[in-house]
Formats: sequence, C-alpha cells, structure tokens
Amino acid sequence: MERRNFLRNTSLAMAALMIKPPIPMKEDTVLGQGNRRYKLDNHWSHADVAKYPVNDCHEMIQDSKGRILLLTNETHNNVLIYDKKGKILESWGHEYPGAHGLTLFDENGTEVLFICDNSRHQVIKTTIDGRVLMTLDYPKETGQYTKPEEYIPTETAITPTGDIYVADGYGKDFVIHYDASGRYLGYFGGRGPQEKHLLNAHGICLDFRDNKQPNLIVTSRQQNAFKRYTLEGEYINTIALPGAWVCRPVIKGDYLYSAVLQTNSRQGDHSGFVTILDKNYKVVSNLAGSVPNYVDGKLDEMYQTIKCFSYPHDVCIDDEENLYIAQWNSGKVYPYKLSPVI
Amino acid sequence: MKKLLLPLLTSLLFNNGFGQQLFQLAPPMLQYHSAFFKDSETASLKFAQPGTKIYFTLNGAEPTQKDAVYRKPIDVKKSLTTLKAKVFGNGFLPSETVQATFIKDGLKIKSIEQSPPNEKYPGNGATTLFDNEGGIANMHSKNFLGYQQDSVEINITLDKKQPIRSVLLDFLRDEGSWIFPPQKITIFYFDDAKNEFEIMNKKEIIANTNAKANACVFELIKAGAKVNSNRLKIIIQPLQSIPEWHPGKGKQAWLFIDEIKIY
Repeated sequence: MERRNFLRNTSLAMAALMIKPPIPMKEDTVLGQGNRRYKLDNHWSHADVAKYPVNDCHEMIQDSKGRILLLTNETHNNVLIYDKKGKILESWGHEYPGAHGLTLFDENGTEVLFICDNSRHQVIKTTIDGRVLMTLDYPKETGQYTKPEEYIPTETAITPTGDIYVADGYGKDFVIHYDASGRYLGYFGGRGPQEKHLLNAHGICLDFRDNKQPNLIVTSRQQNAFKRYTLEGEYINTIALPGAWVCRPVIKGDYLYSAVLQTNSRQGDHSGFVTILDKNYKVVSNLAGSVPNYVDGKLDEMYQTIKCFSYPHDVCIDDEENLYIAQWNSGKVYPYKLSPVI
Repeated sequence: MKKLLLPLLTSLLFNNGFGQQLFQLAPPMLQYHSAFFKDSETASLKFAQPGTKIYFTLNGAEPTQKDAVYRKPIDVKKSLTTLKAKVFGNGFLPSETVQATFIKDGLKIKSIEQSPPNEKYPGNGATTLFDNEGGIANMHSKNFLGYQQDSVEINITLDKKQPIRSVLLDFLRDEGSWIFPPQKITIFYFDDAKNEFEIMNKKEIIANTNAKANACVFELIKAGAKVNSNRLKIIIQPLQSIPEWHPGKGKQAWLFIDEIKIY
C-alpha cells in the first residue's frame, strides 16, 4: 500500500470511529517466545463449510507449487488444497475414512503422497492429485500381527532413496521399514519397559540437520517424548518433553516443530499448544504454552497458557516460515495460520 | 443466561472480520503433595506466561484483581482451608478458577478394613484411607480405592476409646469416567455398654447435575448425639443410577474414595 493511501484509510477509519460507538479492537494475539514468535490468524481458511466440510483436520504439508494440502477424515473431500491465503484451489478423495498421516515425497522430480489410514489399516501411496500408486497392508512379515485390525498406522517417513518407515502409533507401536517398492525390510520399537520402546508412536520423521549422521525421530506420545534411532532402528536417546502429548515431529531449517495435542495436567480439557525445539532438541518456544524453563538441563513440566487451540494435531511450515495448525476433535475447525513476528 | 451472553457478546465484538478473537487464559497449575496434612502443607502455583498474574484467596471467595497476587508458595496450617486461584492478563479473558481444600489430620487411626476394591483400583495398600496422601483429582493417582458395587463397608479402629464429633470422607468426582460421589453414607459407632453398633448419623447426597471439572469432594458428617468409642463402621452406597443427562444414564456409577478423617 502506498503511504498516501495508508494515511487516507487511517483517517477514514478514525472518522468511522468518531461516528460509531467505539468498538473494542482486539490487538493481534502474539504467541511464543524469543525469535520464534507468531501472530495468530484463526480465520485463515475461506472454505465454504457446505462445499468443503472437514471432520478432524489431521495433517498438512506444502507442495513444491506452494500449495497447502490438508488431510481430513471427512470422506466428502479427504484432501483439501489451499493457497497460502486460505483459498480452496481443489479437493479430492472419498475413500479414506481413517485418513490420519500425510507425508510428501519428491520421487525423482515428481511429488507423491503417503497417507496412513487408521480405519483401513493401510498405508496408501498416491500421486499429488490422488491416483493410487501403491498400498501397504498390515505387516504380517514382522510376525507381530495376526490380523489387519491390530495395525493402525499413523505416520510415514520416506528417505531420499525412497525407503518407507511406517509408525503403527495406534496399533502396536512398531516402526516398520520397507524399501521404495514396498518390500519389507524389518521393524523396531514396539511396547515394553526399556528406553528403546514406544508408547503411542504417533509420528516419525527423518532428521538430516546433522548431515554426518542422519537419524529417525519417533514420537512416544503417552511418554511425553521423542525418541531418536539410527536408520537401522538402533535406539540413540530420548528427548523428554514433560507434560506434552507431542504429535509428529516436523523439521524445517534448524527447527523442529510439533503440535502438542494436550497436556498431562489437563487431559481431556482442550489443553493443547505448539512446541518448537532447536537443533540441539531444546525447547525454545511454546505457542500458547508455558515459557520453557530448564533447571540443570532438565525441562520443567509444560502446560497450556492461552486457550486458542483445542487439540492441535499437526504443524505445517511453509516456504515463508508461516505455520498452519490442523486440529483434531476441535469442533470441525479449519486450520489456523500463524505468521512470524519479526 | 449470563453464561450464554458472554460468548455471544465476545463473538459479536471481536469476531466480526476486522479483529481476531479474544482468547481466554488457561487456568494456573496448582501443585501440592497432598490435600491431607499433619501440621502444614505447601501449595504452589505456576503460570509461565509473560504479562499475566495469578490472584488467589484462602477464604473460599472467587479471586479478583483486588486479591493477593501469588509470589511464593503458600503454607496452609488451618484445616478446611480452600485455596482458589485465577490468572488475569491484559488482552485476554481471565482464566477459570482452580481450587483445592486442605484437610488436617484428625484422631489417630489404628487400622481400617474395607470391602475389597475393584482389582484395577487397589489404591496404595492397607493404609490408603488414612495415609494423609491424596486430594488430587486424578483417577489414576494411586491414592484412590475404586468400587463399582451395591455397597462398601469400612471398619475403623481408633487408638483408644474417645469422644468422636465428626467424620470426613473424601471422594473423587470425575463424571466423564463415570465416577460420582455416593448417594448415601451411614455411620455407626460401637457402643460398649450395649455391645453392638449404634447409628451415629447418615447423609443422603443428590447427584450434582452441572459439575464441569473433575474435583475431590469431601463430606463432613457430624455425630447426631454424644459418641464415645474406639470403633466406627461406615456403609457407603455408591450412586446406583447415573442421572438422565449422562451417557451412562441408569447404570451404576463408580465410587472412588481416598481418605477418611475422624475428629
């Protein structure tokens, strides 16, 4: 906007204020701490609810065209494709009643999607516009499963060579490893008393920030932690996030972002927030959550401070460092957008 | 009506396209070891959100910005002290109020024998009901004995024969988990002269129909007449029929009890 226009608009607004009774203007809600602070826009989506309904908004990604893809378990349109301003561009998908996990992979210059479906007990690879390329059924090769119902995959991570890791986060908490063609290679994780075990392995991602030693980060949500493993499935260490039911880890640049579905101190009470960790897995900012505090290297229990999210389920970071927050069981709300405050 | 009006006004004023919504602060974190204490108990409050303050009262009143600002942990020494706390901050609606009532130890209890609880909720062993542990509204804390049956019998033996004025029982209310306070409590004392149990008092409780948050709720039952004894028998009748408005209507509720005090 040119400066002259800006001035004129301002004086018009002032005039309007003088005529009308004063309307309380709400300042922007700014969330987070340090150099990871964001302005909240909870009216980002322009979707018409009659045309593009959602149920749970589970996960979001941005494709190379800059479009934002949302996966919902509403079979009227399992995938909604937005521009960054919140306008719906297109939609597809009616056959994913348990649509949960959404991962984008650049396969030799062509982008493909991996969808985890909780209800179908399958992982489905599709083109970006929804044509099915491959379906992975329950992993009986592991010897750990006797029927599809025991397997409830929640997330995938794909290596640069196309290897697929599937987290069975609502099933038996194993991580199953396949090659690019879907051939079974092995598994790790599962439930148990040891540090290497998982409880509610809800998310998984690859971490290339240390390029000498790429590794896998897997969520152990009921243990309020991320756990790190080598690509071979050897346990490395645990990143404790006391109080926080972290969903999937999402890495962009130097930072790791994760929606916190809810907190231990207020379970079942819409107590979610969003957490951001730096390269050293240290929490640097909580959006709508408590200021992170470390005492002798140990993180204090975290909790929600502002009730602007109910049950956030995923964070998508776009090419301009804006965040999009998808929410589960939150009154069918569309995603919110958060823009960096500089 | 007032409850309906506020969100409506809020959405009219703040949700009309040129402004963003006004959000509410979450309640502060209230932490203490146990609501039951011998000499004193320390309660702490936390709310790490810049620009906000925690206000609290100890007299049962709803906290306002005219009340004390929380700065350091609070020592409670007086029995039945209710701490209420609430967060206020510019640009946000004030939080819901959190609260806890702290309960002082009573006459020395030698032993308690009770009906065997459900195997999933065995509490913390034989001393669960008089270990001064609990008063935390979390069904998964190990302080509660859980029952789902027609009646629960509790037999209490005191250190020595002495005057008994009242009995306090602490229950969990977690309606989402089908846990309700009981519908009836009957207390008997052993009368040496008659060599039998005599009624001390009884209380019937109407199930709350609008309880929102999980909470520990206590019942203080006074002796109807002068009582001098070293043995009490308590018969608790869990809520036999969950109210209409609840998804579990008509079914038997769970009873969770974590402590008994004799005064």
